Parts: sequence; C-alpha cells; structure tokens
Amino acid sequence: MSSRVEILNDGGFRSDGRKQYELRDITIDLSQQGTADGSATITHGLTQVMVTVFGPREAKMRSQTLHDRAVLNVEINVAPFSTGERRKRSRADRRILELAAAIESTFEPVVQTSLYPRSQIDIYVQVLQQDGGLLQACINATTLALITAGVPLLDFVCAVSGGVHSTEPLLDLTTLEENDLPNLTVAVMPRTRKVTLVTMETRLHVDRFRDIFELACAAGQTIHKEMKRAVKDRTVALVGAMDAGAKHPLADPDAMMEDR
Amino acid sequence: MAAQLVSKSERAYIQASLQATPPLRGDGRGLLDFRTVLLETGVAPLANGSAKLNIGKMPHEGGGGTEVLAATKLEVEDVESGDGVDGGRVVCSVSWCAIRSIQLEPIVQLTKDSSPSAYPHLSSNALDELQYDLTVILQQTIGHPSLHPQNLTIIPRKKSWLLNLDAVILADAGNAVDALFMAARAALWDTKVPRTRAVEYQAPEDSQTTRDSASAMDVDNREAIPTASGFDTREMARTAADFELPDYWDEGEVLHGRERWPVCITLNLLPPSHFLDATPPEEASVPLRMHLMYSFASPSTPKLQSMRLLGPGELNSAQIKSYISEGEKYARELFNALESKLREEDVRRNVKARDRFAQR
Repeated sequence: MSSRVEILNDGGFRSDGRKQYELRDITIDLSQQGTADGSATITHGLTQVMVTVFGPREAKMRSQTLHDRAVLNVEINVAPFSTGERRKRSRADRRILELAAAIESTFEPVVQTSLYPRSQIDIYVQVLQQDGGLLQACINATTLALITAGVPLLDFVCAVSGGVHSTEPLLDLTTLEENDLPNLTVAVMPRTRKVTLVTMETRLHVDRFRDIFELACAAGQTIHKEMKRAVKDRTVALVGAMDAGAKHPLADPDAMMEDR
Repeated sequence: MAAQLVSKSERAYIQASLQATPPLRGDGRGLLDFRTVLLETGVAPLANGSAKLNIGKMPHEGGGGTEVLAATKLEVEDVESGDGVDGGRVVCSVSWCAIRSIQLEPIVQLTKDSSPSAYPHLSSNALDELQYDLTVILQQTIGHPSLHPQNLTIIPRKKSWLLNLDAVILADAGNAVDALFMAARAALWDTKVPRTRAVEYQAPEDSQTTRDSASAMDVDNREAIPTASGFDTREMARTAADFELPDYWDEGEVLHGRERWPVCITLNLLPPSHFLDATPPEEASVPLRMHLMYSFASPSTPKLQSMRLLGPGELNSAQIKSYISEGEKYARELFNALESKLREEDVRRNVKARDRFAQR
C-alpha cells in the first residue's frame, strides 16, 4: 500500500524535503526555567531538548568530590510521550546512562573545572520530543545552558549527527534515517576546531568515514554561528535591561555590542 | 508539595503577615489571588493530546513559575490475553524534571552507595516518593469509574484503548498540584481518539447460501441468518476479530465526557484564614493544606470528586464543611476560566489555522 520511503531520491531530496547537506530548522530558547542557574531549550526540526544547569555548588556528598576540581553530574529524563510509541524508561536505563556518560565525557575537558574545587555542577537534561539526533541536541543544549549559567568554558561545543547512504554523506538525521543508515555524532569546539566527541554505534566502511567526518566538523561551524547569535541576542537584551535603570544612558554604546 | 526548608522565625514571620489586618503576602497579592496562568495546548505533536501550563511566570523578570507539561497517548490493548479491561482504562503518571532537587532536605545520608548510577544525595529518594505521591493523587482522581470515558472500546471484549496520561513537572514554584490537575484536564480535553472500524477476514466460501459479496475483504458474518439483509451489520461487531483505521490521517473524535474532568483547588489553611496559590515559603509555613477536586459537568450540580488533607494540622468537621463549600466557589471560578481558555485554544488551533490555510 505505501511504497518504501526513499532516503535520498534522484533529485537529491531526502524524505523530509531537505537536501543532502541541509540541517534542520534550529530554534533556541534561553529563557529562565524555575530556579536554575542556566537553562536552554533547543529544537532541531522535531527533536526538542531542554537542559538546566545548577552550579557550581556545594556537593551533597563530600565523598564524591575531587579536591582540585569540580565534578560534572549529568541526569537525563526522557518524557514518555517524546517518541511515536509511548515508552516509559526508568532512570537507570542503559541507553540513557550511556547518553549521560557521553555528555559528561564531552564536557569534562571543556568546562574549566579547576576553578571550582570540591564542588558539583549538575546538568539536568529533559527530552521533550525525539526525532533523531538526540545526542546532538543534548550536547548543543548543554553548551547553551552552561553558558547562560555563567560556567566558564574553553569554547562552545557544537554537535551534529551524520550518516552515509550508500556513498552519499547526509547531515542531521531524522529517526527514519537513523534507523536505516550508519550514523555518527561529532562534537567540535569551533574556534580551535578540536573534536571533543566522535561516537558511532553502527558499522561504516572506513573509506566513507573521512568524508562524513570532515563534513560534520564543517557543519559544527554552522551550528556555532546560530548558537553564538542566540547567546548574543540574549546578552544584548540583558545589558539593555540593566541599562534601563541607569540614570545616564550610555552615550556611545559599547563597540562590541554592535553587529559586525 | 515538597516543603522548602524554612526556619522557625521565617515561618512565624510569614504566618504573622498572613494573619495581620490587612493580610500581607510576599508578592503583594490578596489571599485569594492567583498568579498569572499561561496555557498552551497541542505542544507535543506525537501525543494524542497535550498541554503545557505555567503558573506565575514573570516574562520581564526572567521567567520562572510552576511549569507542568502533560500529554496523553493511546495504546491498543488486548482484553483477552493482555492487561486490557473491557471498556478501556486510564493510567496516569507524574515525573519530575530534577529541577526541584535543590530545595529538598539536604540532610546527608550516611549510607554507602557504591553503584555509580545511583544519585549521591538523599534528594533522589525524596524525589521518587514525591513522584509516587503525586502519581497516586492523579491516578485515583482521574482513574475513577465515574469519570471513565465511553469511547475507549475498539472491539467489545477483544480490544480496547489504554489511555496513558503522563505529566512532567518542569519547575515548581508552589501550587504544583493545582497546576498538575489543570494541565491534565487540558491534555485530556485536547485528546483525540482515532476512529476505528471493526473488520473480520473470511476466506471466500463456495457454498450456495453465501451472499454475492462473500469474496470481499470485509465480510459480514451472516451464516447464521441466511435471509438477512445485506445491509445488516449488527453481526459484524459481535464476531469481529480486528480493526482498522478508516482514515489514516484523521486525528479522531474527542474523548467522551471531557466536560467531567475535574479541576483541583488547593486551600492553604491557616486558621482563622485560608489562602490560595501559595509560593514555596508560604507552603512550608502553613500547618495544613486541603486539595479539593471538583467536577462541573453540569453547572448547577458540582461534584466533589476527591479531597486530600496534607500536613500536621488538624480540623474539626464543621470547619471541613465550610472549607469544602468555600472551595467550591473558587473551583468554579477556576473551572470557568479554564473552560474559556480551552475553547479559545480550540479556536486558535482549528478554526484560525483552517482560515489561514485557506488564505494561502
């Protein structure tokens, strides 16, 4: 009755109408959530993830702290209605723990933990909707949440997922594509172009790996532009709000705030 | 629900201001004033019905407030071999996004937790308990037989719908139970049950007594009544073994009895006065709280679906009666406001969207 959905048709279009290297729509929302120190909600197409950050703050269990740096604690909660079929996953589900461990190891070298010995930085990830690219969305949202929380980072961490359809590399996969294709997720630090995470759970021919890897690194730069713009907009709004109470408004605005 | 830690002097201070004349609250509200409630339906496109509710968000001061996201999902259950119940069933669950963990008791527990996946602090246990408490309140009220919707049957005695109502508390700035019930009501209001049609598959018969249409895929079972009219489909429902969706893209019909779903109003009792919509410090300073769940199916006769008392305080029965009748008034106002908002949301999402689409 329904024909098999084509991952990439002859016209170069994918199942959701995108081209090969096209990323999905990105929406970033940096408004405050509850009493969290930092929070961010990012939407890649239909995948929506909200991350809140608490800290650095005193750790609840002294035995879990380190004497010379802060400890990152990542907890993930996947909403049961986030996927097409309802699945209630317990907090100790293996896939979720693996995801949390991947996020933690991604941010270990990036957060300047040595500035906060014996403290803890809590990262709570809430997955609201899933349509592929979950790790990518979690990492991007975590970066933004850490930035809004004021936690010092060495650089942004921008993640993107990619896959290969026979010989054609594709970027930013949906669930349909993830189930069908070998796929990997790459997280890069855009300024230094260093890669902080590469993870793949499927099998991919080694000849194809180089293309998709380089492509993903380049896509990270694009995502970085979006993230930087969102952070700047929010900062401009905050600074504007702070100035509103000042008696003498700034005669010449700070040169860095202008759009270059 | 989760009491924030307040010191004795803070508690005395809050109680004294609430009992003063005129009563004073931290944010300048009156005793019966609610904070701004924001509601949006249809926030989870993959769910059959969803709603996001926020009480007390201050957009110009950084946001915040109590935020609850509720969504319903329908699953097919087998009555004979599975867990299904003839007529369908409703299951609720509440979970927390771990935002509130900082406000729970920070007492260090002296047990060794060697598993790396376990949480290193006590608040996770308290979190689980709170989750369970709220789940039970929601389940017992919403799952009550008097509120059970009629259109959860697919094939009588064979297949039925399981309605899963999942609520996630994203942030808690007080009055979480009211927010939970409002969001649950909105999500249930928004729920659409897909229309199904019972079918039975039969091999074509060569016998002379069969009708002409015996070779078709959906066949009436008319062996028992050879002279029955071809348009008589009553037999089909009794012997049907499976069902199909006549229209794949149709979202379905609304859940029956959606005007019956209750709203909850929480009265924070500080004799001789009481107040509504408490912030976390106020919740912690009050000795007794009363949750009243009212259903206003017919505007003249409200029904008290359930009631809960929380806290170490005590009441006598005359006081309980008076609080119940006061609560009914507040619940009615809340219900009317929620109703008008839900209808407005219906208009926004259906009528306006259709108009906009037609103008393209």
